[in-house]
Amino acid sequence: MKAKEFYAEHRRLLLGFFSVISLLAAWELLLTYLFPLNPFFFTKPSLIAEAFKEQVRGPKLWHDLAISSRAFLWGFSFAVVIGIPVGLIMGWRRRVEYTLDPFLTALYASPLVAVAPLFIIAFGVGVLGKAALVFLLSVFPFIFNAFAGVKSTDRLLIDVIRSFGGSEKDLYLKVILPSTIPYIVAGARLAVGRGLVGIIVGEFYAASEGIGFAISQAGDTYRLPDMFVGILILSVIAVVLTELMRKLELTLAPWRASEEVRS
Amino acid sequence: MTPFIQARNITLVFKSKTREPVTALSNFSLEVGRGEFVSIVGPSGCGKSTFLNILLGLLRPEAGEMRLNGTPIAGPSQERAMVFQEFGLLPWRTVRANVELGLELKGIPSAERSQRAAELIKLVGLQGFERHYPHELSGGMKQRVGLARALATEPEVLLMDEPFAALDAQTRDLMQAELLQIWGRTKKTVLFVTHSIEEAAYLSDRVIVMTARPGRTKDVLKIQLARPRDYEMRLTAEFNEIKSRIWEVLKEELTPESRI
Repeated sequence: MKAKEFYAEHRRLLLGFFSVISLLAAWELLLTYLFPLNPFFFTKPSLIAEAFKEQVRGPKLWHDLAISSRAFLWGFSFAVVIGIPVGLIMGWRRRVEYTLDPFLTALYASPLVAVAPLFIIAFGVGVLGKAALVFLLSVFPFIFNAFAGVKSTDRLLIDVIRSFGGSEKDLYLKVILPSTIPYIVAGARLAVGRGLVGIIVGEFYAASEGIGFAISQAGDTYRLPDMFVGILILSVIAVVLTELMRKLELTLAPWRASEEVRS
Repeated sequence: MTPFIQARNITLVFKSKTREPVTALSNFSLEVGRGEFVSIVGPSGCGKSTFLNILLGLLRPEAGEMRLNGTPIAGPSQERAMVFQEFGLLPWRTVRANVELGLELKGIPSAERSQRAAELIKLVGLQGFERHYPHELSGGMKQRVGLARALATEPEVLLMDEPFAALDAQTRDLMQAELLQIWGRTKKTVLFVTHSIEEAAYLSDRVIVMTARPGRTKDVLKIQLARPRDYEMRLTAEFNEIKSRIWEVLKEELTPESRI
C-alpha cells in the first residue's frame, strides 16, 4: 500500500527516471555483449562517463564553456534589447509593421545558418562573429512574440486607460507591455534554442576554442566519447536555460502563474 | 437653467471598409439633472453603449452636441468614469492597484492613492482582498473593483454599461442594492445602460426607452417610487405596474428574434 502511494505521488519523476536509465542500460549492454562494435565508430555510456570525468577535471572544458557563454550572452542580450522594442512598436504602429514585415518574414523563414560564412567574414572568428550569429538567430522570436502579444492586447483595457485620460506612454507601460510579457517569455524559450544553434554553427564553421569547436574537433579525430560529453553538456545547458525562462514567467507574470496552477 | 448633462441631436455612424456603414445613433437627445439616476433601455444594438462612450469621450459624434455642466465634451476627463460590463480590470494588478489606476493616471502621489484606494475598497466591501488578483475573484467581486476604480477619481458622472449583465441573478440583486446605497451616499449622477426592465425600474429616477437602430429616444418614464428602495419593493403591485409600463413601450421596438 505504501509503495503504491509513493508511486502515485511521484509517478512523473519515477517513470521519467526509469525510461532514461533503461535506455542507457540497453545502449551499454547492446554494445558490450550483443554487438561489440569498433569503439572507433561507436561508443557507449561507460566510455562517455569516463571521458566526462576526465574533462571535468581539466581546464579545457571550462575554458571552452566560458568562451561560448560569453558569445551567447552578448548575442542574446542584444536580441532582447533590440527584439522586444521592435516587436512592440511593430504591433502598435501599422506603418512600422507593413514596412518591416517583408524583411522579417523572409529572414524568419529562411535557414539563417546559411549566412554564417558571411557573418564570420564580416565580424571575424572571435566573440563578435559568434555573438552576431546568436543575435541574428535569437532576435526573431522576440520580435514576433512581442508583436503577437501587442496584437492580442485586450481592446477593453486600452479603452479603460484612455477613459481615465491615460497617454500613449501609459498605454505602453500599463497595458501593452504587461499583457505582452507572457508572449515575450515564450519567445525567449524559443530564442534560447536558436541562440545555441548560432553558437555551435559559428564554432563549427570557424573557431579555435569554444564548446562547438570542441565537439567538432572530437568528431574530426574520432574521439566519440569526448564528442558526446560536449553534446550532453549542451543539452543540459539548453534544458536549464529553458526552465529558467519558465521560472522567469512565473515571477514576471504571477497572474498567469496562478492560472496555470489552478487549471 | 441648463441641465447638467445635455445631449442634443447626437448622430453617430460607424464606418467600416468591409461592411455597410451603420448608424448607431440618430438625432438622439437627452437631458439629465445633477445627482439624477437615469437608466437607458432599448433593443440590442440601439446605440445605448455608444451613447455612453460618447459621453465618456472615447467616441466623437458626427453631428450634435454633448455638454456637461454647459461645457462641450472634448475627450475623456476626470469628471466622468465608466464601469464596464466585462469589468476591464488589469489582470496583472492586484485589487488595490486596479482601484488606484485612475488616480495613478491622474498623477496623484502614492500615499494619497493608497489612502483613497483603502477607503473605496471598504466602501465596496472588499477589505481583506486588497492583494488578490482579478482571476482570484468572483464576478461580483470583480465588478466591485470596477466600481471602486471608477469612484476613486471622484467623478461627478458615473457611467455604467450593463455593469451587472455578466453576473448571476443573486449577485446581481445584491450588487443593485449596494449600488443604490453607494449612490445614496456619494450623490453621483448615474447613467445606467441595461437590458433588464426590472433593474432599470428598481434603480432609476427616470428610464429612457430607446428605439431600435438607429437609436432615438422613444419615451421617457419617471419612476415615482419612494427612496430608499429595498428588495421588498420589487414585489409590490406598484412596481409591477411600472415594469409593465416600460415593457409596453419597449416591446414595439423589439424585433421578432429578440421577442422569443
